[in-house]
Amino acid sequence: MLTHASPPAAELGTVLRARLTGFTGFLRANGFGVGGADAVGVLDTSQHMGILDPQVLHWSLKALLCGRGDDWRRFDRLFDAYFLPPNKSLFAQSNFGAAGTRDAADACDAAGARRDAAEFEAAPGTDQGVAGELDADSARHGASREESLASTDFGELNQAQQAYEIETLMRHFAKRLKRLRLRRETAYHHGRRLDLQATIRRSVSCGGTPIRLAWKEYRRVRPRLVLLVDVSRSMRLYSFFYMRLARALCAELADVRCFIFHTRLTDVGAALSDPDPWRAQERLHLLAIGWAGGTRIGECLRDFNRDHGARLIHSRTAVIVVSDGYDTGEPTLLAQSLAALRRRARRVVWLNPLLNQRGYTPESRGMQAAMPHVDLLAPGADLASIERVLPRILETLR
Amino acid sequence: MPEIIALQRQFEAVGYVAEPALAAALLLMLKLDRPLLVEGDAGVGKTEIAKALAAARGARLIRLQCYEGLDVHAAMYEWNYQRQLLAIKLLENDERPTAVKEQDIFSERYLLKRPLLEAISCAEQPVLLIDEVDRADEAFEAYLLELLSDFQMSIPELGTVRAVTKPLVVITSNGTRELSDALRRRCLYQYIDYPTFAKELAIVEIRAPQAAGHLARQVVDFVQSVRRLELQKKPGIAETLDWTAALLRLGIATINDDGAERILDTLSALIKTRGDRAGFTREVVARIAATC
Repeated sequence: MLTHASPPAAELGTVLRARLTGFTGFLRANGFGVGGADAVGVLDTSQHMGILDPQVLHWSLKALLCGRGDDWRRFDRLFDAYFLPPNKSLFAQSNFGAAGTRDAADACDAAGARRDAAEFEAAPGTDQGVAGELDADSARHGASREESLASTDFGELNQAQQAYEIETLMRHFAKRLKRLRLRRETAYHHGRRLDLQATIRRSVSCGGTPIRLAWKEYRRVRPRLVLLVDVSRSMRLYSFFYMRLARALCAELADVRCFIFHTRLTDVGAALSDPDPWRAQERLHLLAIGWAGGTRIGECLRDFNRDHGARLIHSRTAVIVVSDGYDTGEPTLLAQSLAALRRRARRVVWLNPLLNQRGYTPESRGMQAAMPHVDLLAPGADLASIERVLPRILETLR
Repeated sequence: MPEIIALQRQFEAVGYVAEPALAAALLLMLKLDRPLLVEGDAGVGKTEIAKALAAARGARLIRLQCYEGLDVHAAMYEWNYQRQLLAIKLLENDERPTAVKEQDIFSERYLLKRPLLEAISCAEQPVLLIDEVDRADEAFEAYLLELLSDFQMSIPELGTVRAVTKPLVVITSNGTRELSDALRRRCLYQYIDYPTFAKELAIVEIRAPQAAGHLARQVVDFVQSVRRLELQKKPGIAETLDWTAALLRLGIATINDDGAERILDTLSALIKTRGDRAGFTREVVARIAATC
């Protein structure tokens, strides 16, 4: 099962050892939490279990090197990519990439394949065959790797770079998010309105001469943001990005609540604010597990109104719904729930990732039902489009 | 690999169907002396692994059920205060020096062994099951780590207790809390999914031999269809077996859409939440039963 050309027998042991221990490095490059001790563990394991039966080696290393459910699910493909001869892994890969990429239902698989390809490339010591396949893959999608980051689809973005870009944009957003003026007043260092009461109180220490003036100003607060992100199958390509966006936003602003919905609604605030990004991802994954199926936006919004509406939504709340509007539920329920939400909240913004795709018109029943009840319908498929609509969103939230 | 097959046979003999991947992990666990961390949904047979392992090796099973607020006294050891107090009373008239008396009071006779101490002081290698470790708090996890790395425990009054034999440790987790990376790194890992049709059929045939054949196939088919529905709580293997028993008890020998009413009566063994139960109307049951 090893792919190297036959070296002299004396070197074979060294090559074998290097190949086996190299696997831990490969896994580490792909985000597994394995360390140096595990390399020793791999050698121990292969000694105990033998390396001649690929299945046994596969099972044993899987038990040894996986640490969590996410690792468990990704291990098989990584094992094959590392140990199988290039032509076999090529076969597995091309099967993966064959899904129709323009089809919304299959888009997730394609994105998965692309992400896998990126994973494989990022790892050192990978066979040539995988890299070759990678080129073919990107050619098929008609996009080069050098394409400007700002307009790349989210599925193809390098994680670290993307995280940085998103954080920058969200910091920008948070900075520009205007504070809403309240009628209540509060003390200020300087201002236009004199706080007479406080000025007189201060003058007492100076024998009644108002030397130090006190000012007051209308209190300003940032609107509370409530994010409702659709993570259904049709949104798979974008939901991951929006989770990162929500995470960055949570880090910048204090008063952000985030929910994901699908066929049910779940609060992901706690999971998002986990300091460890990997763990946050894993927790989100756990939350979203086993929910395959359609989207029921109307029901989810109704549930939100019922369970969280009274608590979370006040007159300074801006609700941002992220969804493509493909709804398997009742459009009338969606319209009703959204109308109820809008009555309660200050603004309702709907971001639709598909909106700036060529040839897309918001004709789906869900979108049709929702449109009369949102303050702003904006596209949001990638960072560039979000950046473009940011001023409009800010304008609406004011 | 013959060893894996032998292990699978052993497990089958005690009524547990182990997939080759699990058998390989168990074999590795025996060879590397590492604990096995098992994760998966409720009811997929995580705890059963430890029970089957103990039964297959003829070893003693020591179980520590974790819960919130589990502390050292409940998990490791505790002094038997009542007996100690009595002993002090009795020793009042004793002529021996105080130091000797004190040593007597803090001897092993007055020590209540809790599961973890029990496990490391067994003469023969036991199986230690630490069930639902995610329910215990992080401090306990850290303590557990210490035990799992050295297999020794220090009791201030007695000194360090070293393991006579290293127990086989099986840890299960339901994912209510994220476990620390340190614990994960020290363990072999196994994620157990809901069983495939073939595996579940094998389990039903082993555990409920009266249902073997046509009924077992139908039962498994039905349960697999139910799992594909969108439920709050999907039925696990335990539920499948319960339901099979319920069907047998009511004398239902075949599942078809005519008998939907009677099946509906037994569904309480399979469906465990009110919301899910409400979704199972006569029509739904009849539709699923018709495909079995």
